[in-house]
Amino acid sequence: MRVLVIDPDTARAALVAQGLEGVQPLEVRRSAVYDEAEVLAFAPDVVVIAAESPDRDTLDSLKESGSGRPVVMFVDRSEPGLAEQAVRAGVAAYVVDGLAPGRVRSILDVAMSRFALTQQLRGDLAKAKADLESRKTVERAKGLLMRERGLDEDGAYRLLRKLAMDRGKPIGSVAADLLAFAGVLKGEAP
Amino acid sequence: MSGLSDLRLGFIPLTDCAPLAVAQALGFFEEEGLAVELVREASWATIRDKVAVGALDGAHMLGPMALAAEGDVLAPMALNRNGSAVTVSTALAGAVGAAGEGLARIVAARRASGQGLLTFAVVFPQSMHNYLLRDWLVRAGVDPDQDVRLVVIPPPRMVERMRAGEIDGFCVGAPWNAVAEAQGVGRILMVSSQIWPAGPDKVLGVNAALAAHRSDDLRACLRAVIRGAAWADAPQNRDALVALLARPDVVGVDPAALSRALEHEIIFHRDEAGLPQREHALWFLSQMVRWGQLEAGRDMEALADRVYRPDLYRDAALSLQADEPALHAS
Repeated sequence: MRVLVIDPDTARAALVAQGLEGVQPLEVRRSAVYDEAEVLAFAPDVVVIAAESPDRDTLDSLKESGSGRPVVMFVDRSEPGLAEQAVRAGVAAYVVDGLAPGRVRSILDVAMSRFALTQQLRGDLAKAKADLESRKTVERAKGLLMRERGLDEDGAYRLLRKLAMDRGKPIGSVAADLLAFAGVLKGEAP
Repeated sequence: MSGLSDLRLGFIPLTDCAPLAVAQALGFFEEEGLAVELVREASWATIRDKVAVGALDGAHMLGPMALAAEGDVLAPMALNRNGSAVTVSTALAGAVGAAGEGLARIVAARRASGQGLLTFAVVFPQSMHNYLLRDWLVRAGVDPDQDVRLVVIPPPRMVERMRAGEIDGFCVGAPWNAVAEAQGVGRILMVSSQIWPAGPDKVLGVNAALAAHRSDDLRACLRAVIRGAAWADAPQNRDALVALLARPDVVGVDPAALSRALEHEIIFHRDEAGLPQREHALWFLSQMVRWGQLEAGRDMEALADRVYRPDLYRDAALSLQADEPALHAS
């Protein structure tokens, strides 16, 4: 497990390392500030950041992009509700009150699995959108074949499926090609 | 017991925290019956979270950030107009040119020679700075999402990141552009007032529950901050304001860098600068849609009216005017 602690103070990194004792392999690095090159090179499984670090904004903005990572943020007990809010606001920001070495392992695990789940949901959503798009394309290609070749709906679909199998390509992609070529034949700019 | 109502307010080290810093330093909050704890925060995300859950009652906040909280946070006052600028590294500034006219050529040349994208930084995704920089890039013929890399860096870190060569340009609020220039790290190419004179910037964002359950305290708070803004605007107070902001527990930078934007750009109070304008909220929302931060088709006017509350500002300003006519004589 690779853990990056962003904190000017060395105490938290020491506590994190202590709490993860026995985890193999383990590498805990501490950096006073967020350094993109270092994060890319180190590729931590999880980032621990002090709530009082300005670099939180940088990490917060990454959660929308592909380069986001699970983030754990430690805040004081004196600010009730902040933990819940951070969980609500930040996909991966998981905040706890205080820091006891005994709890470090489970907190990091929860943050990582939450993050993986969110990434998966995001992936599923993108796939669902792509599927829907592909289905629309297939419908339009079917319509084209029915018009141009005088086929019924079922016949048009079977022709598309055969084209897809012959070329070893997904049916959505064959349908898109067909529509594009039909456009060219009709004189539309490619 | 002091007999005063407790209030916790947050700020980020930027020149436009002045109305809050002045109200605290000059005792305006106390005179309005409030015991305010003014907390310096390190990141906008922390400000957002703390105000939304009530760990802070209110804070110095980016206008679009208040809107993005969708009703948890209200903006009953604007803290300033103008103040942000686009700064480009000294190495690049000459080739880019004042209006960014050389930027598209640089982008194309880097692409042709296989160099990485230029990197520009803004302070937060939902910020005037992000929208201004994107607008400036678009005007220069550069696609903000394809032709350059945009990253988020908190204001106090901008200059050191540019010095380290990690970013080629940024859009941030005062005084950080002037700090970059004074240290020879970057050059200011465009100040926000060139694109939008007296354009919107920060607001005072408050927890919605404060407005709902403690309306007297909110009015007292607004009165104190309006007085702070009026004081900060007065030319005869300029030197004292610079000295206050230069303190390490406020902004903590060289006084000369602070003076620059205060002298030429930032407006805190005059010309109704404190009024949170509906048009500003609607413009922010349109930018949020334009850049994919908010889905289109929402009732933007309803959202703007829920968050931006000029009625609360007017209520406080009128009560103040009745007590202190001189304040509004300008």
